[in-house]
Amino acid sequence: MRQAARRLLEENTVNLVIGYAWGTLPLRTAPFFARTPAEADRLVYNSLCENNLVKYLLRYSKEKLGLVVKGCDARSLVVLLRENQVQRDRVHIIGVPCTGVIDRRKVMELVDGQEVTGAEVTVEGIVVRGEGFEKDIKTDEVLCVSCRGCKYGTPVLYDTLVGEEVRAREENFGDIRAFEALPPSEREAYFAQEMAKCIRCYACRNVCPLCYCTECFVDSSRPQWLSRRPATADNFFFHLGRAYHLAGRCVDCGACARACPVGVDLMKLNRKLIKDAKDLFGYEAGLDPGQPSLLSTFDPNDPERFILGG
Amino acid sequence: MAEDREPRIVGFLCNWCSYAAADLAGMSRFHYPPHLCAIRVPCTGRMNPLFVMSALRRGADAVLIAGCHPGDCHYVSGNLTARRRFSVFRSLLEFAGVEEGRLNLTWISAAEGKRFASLSTQLTQRAKELGPYKGMLRKRIGV
Amino acid sequence: MIIRKAAVAKFLDGLLKEYAVYIPRRREGYSEYTPLDPGSGYFWQGLNTQKPPKELLFPHGETLYSYRLRSDGVELRTHFDEEKRVLFGIRPCDAKGFCYLDRVFTRQDYQDVYYQTRRNNTVLIGLACLAPTTTCFCTSLGGGPFDTEGLDLLWVDLGERYAVRVLAPKGEALIKGRPEFVPAGEADWQAVRELEGGALGKMAPVLDLSGLKKRLDENYSDSVWDRVFEKCIGCAACTYLCPTCHCFDLSYEVEGSQGLCVRTWDSCAFPLFTLHASGHNPRPTGKERFRQRVMHKFRYFVENWGVMSCVGCGRCIIHCPVNLDIRDVLRQIIAGVSA
Repeated sequence: MRQAARRLLEENTVNLVIGYAWGTLPLRTAPFFARTPAEADRLVYNSLCENNLVKYLLRYSKEKLGLVVKGCDARSLVVLLRENQVQRDRVHIIGVPCTGVIDRRKVMELVDGQEVTGAEVTVEGIVVRGEGFEKDIKTDEVLCVSCRGCKYGTPVLYDTLVGEEVRAREENFGDIRAFEALPPSEREAYFAQEMAKCIRCYACRNVCPLCYCTECFVDSSRPQWLSRRPATADNFFFHLGRAYHLAGRCVDCGACARACPVGVDLMKLNRKLIKDAKDLFGYEAGLDPGQPSLLSTFDPNDPERFILGG
Repeated sequence: MAEDREPRIVGFLCNWCSYAAADLAGMSRFHYPPHLCAIRVPCTGRMNPLFVMSALRRGADAVLIAGCHPGDCHYVSGNLTARRRFSVFRSLLEFAGVEEGRLNLTWISAAEGKRFASLSTQLTQRAKELGPYKGMLRKRIGV
Repeated sequence: MIIRKAAVAKFLDGLLKEYAVYIPRRREGYSEYTPLDPGSGYFWQGLNTQKPPKELLFPHGETLYSYRLRSDGVELRTHFDEEKRVLFGIRPCDAKGFCYLDRVFTRQDYQDVYYQTRRNNTVLIGLACLAPTTTCFCTSLGGGPFDTEGLDLLWVDLGERYAVRVLAPKGEALIKGRPEFVPAGEADWQAVRELEGGALGKMAPVLDLSGLKKRLDENYSDSVWDRVFEKCIGCAACTYLCPTCHCFDLSYEVEGSQGLCVRTWDSCAFPLFTLHASGHNPRPTGKERFRQRVMHKFRYFVENWGVMSCVGCGRCIIHCPVNLDIRDVLRQIIAGVSA
């Protein structure tokens, strides 16, 4: 990773590499912007690299960039290319094969909410320690829900690949199937509980590389779609609207759910849409910059058994 | 009182077919229940899911989206795009606990005044069975 | 005074006759202050809740007034929240946060009646912080785990009992004549002092912020701002979880012939915060917006009120989606170089 970034900077192929460096807290890495070969030496990559750096691409219009992407991140970049938001020749994609990202919240549950003061990445997972405890945790125990059935750990698009290709996991929508099986009232009650937490900080929207509208519908005052106060009804309106805007675009990177400071289960809605796109139309987003968009195209034979009155 | 009120249905009708069908139903003196409030849209392809959520939020108990039959769209394919979007959105709403039947899509041509009247009747009946929408999207009035 | 832990539930149930009592609670990996139900006993861990108690005095969304158009004119109604409240288990840093809100909302030339009404009706019972975490830096900002600023009572956990320091008349009135409380002895206060020493010992070394104000006065156009904000994604997690951030927005919710004027939190991190009707935005990018946040807290607030508008609770550090650590930012500004 460091070598690749260093070389790109030294050879002036790029003048900025956006990657990850260690953060200031255990279990945390943070986006890092390396402009010199020396800075490139601070780059790291591991299962704690939870942000999707593709988001930052949209900000830099002049620099020639090197960008570190995981499998899912690469797919979101493909969607941006498809939507003509990024020029391909401006980005040198440093792909990293990914075996899954660790969900910090799951780690916290495993240690009963005690403060983790140190963490170390090992081959199989992580070791976390705090006052009076040390725990060895396997990555698979604390994987993000999106990573459990990830078929695209190896980036679908890259200029340099750092590391060996990884095996695709078996698609797994078990969480969504189980939820679908619940009665509607229970599903609504679950969302009511989740939506009540939301503080409308819009971290989910702002970390999402595919949320790039100049004016988000929540900020519109003409019409004012929803209240600016974080009532459950309004929060739900926001999250349903946002999820729908990502239908056929969301690549299940899970960055929004990890960014949420209050832990709203955002992936329930996103993953439902991903599953439906697959089930109803055989569509998977972010695999090919040439693929048509899901919701602005159609097939004359699309299912329509739900039409009222036949 | 609120519990027994008559259902409120918001109908988004396309300018070229379904809205004309509603006119025809009226001119033909067909009888159908008065619960559907018609909003004319240029095409079902213009439908934004936010319209549907806003209707439910502001007091609708059911929503109808009606457009030209497949193949008859004034804009060639607006209704076919709408069909795809709608199937995704409808599934999402139901997943989130909004009962099946609150959101409906249908095709009614300009010549089908009869069909408009009968579907309105059918939809009103369905909305009555479902009862008022009191789900999470409904805006809670008050301070 | 001293109260046995076994007697706390009874004390709280007694309070419920006159007050709504809010306590910190954790559920589903998420924690906030929630109302205590009568007879439910209590479950209190002295948490550094994800959401600060700020919203109990300065709600995320509140109706200021409502109106209704009638044939004979307009009916106007203001809405005051006059609930009598006890906030139980407040951490000293959060209580200090209220003191900063007080400065803004109860200043001499502008009294915010909505805030003031709540403030006057609220009693703050603090819980001394025995286990500061690694993200705590209250001592760098003039606070401390046993700080009493803003509190009416401070409770200190002595194992089976709490030592209770009475700090203000409101606090005194709350426990006066209550049989659950007995006078504390010198040994108890000695134990409190020892615990305070222990808690202070766990605090991370104090950040030297003495040169900060001067640096900020001088470096408005410094190149440090070009890099320091870079990973910020412009969400409001830090501002909304901050016990001292107090910027708000007014909006109208209109429904036919009636409507509400609503005040909601707003954040300097959002472009909309400064967007003019003309389309011009004086803070066009994340750089200006992030600088504003730092400047407001550590420069302008100092100029207006003599203190930095940060209590060192660490929430913005823990919950920032991109680990933009304010301690790190301040260090960089003081050092004057980008990391």
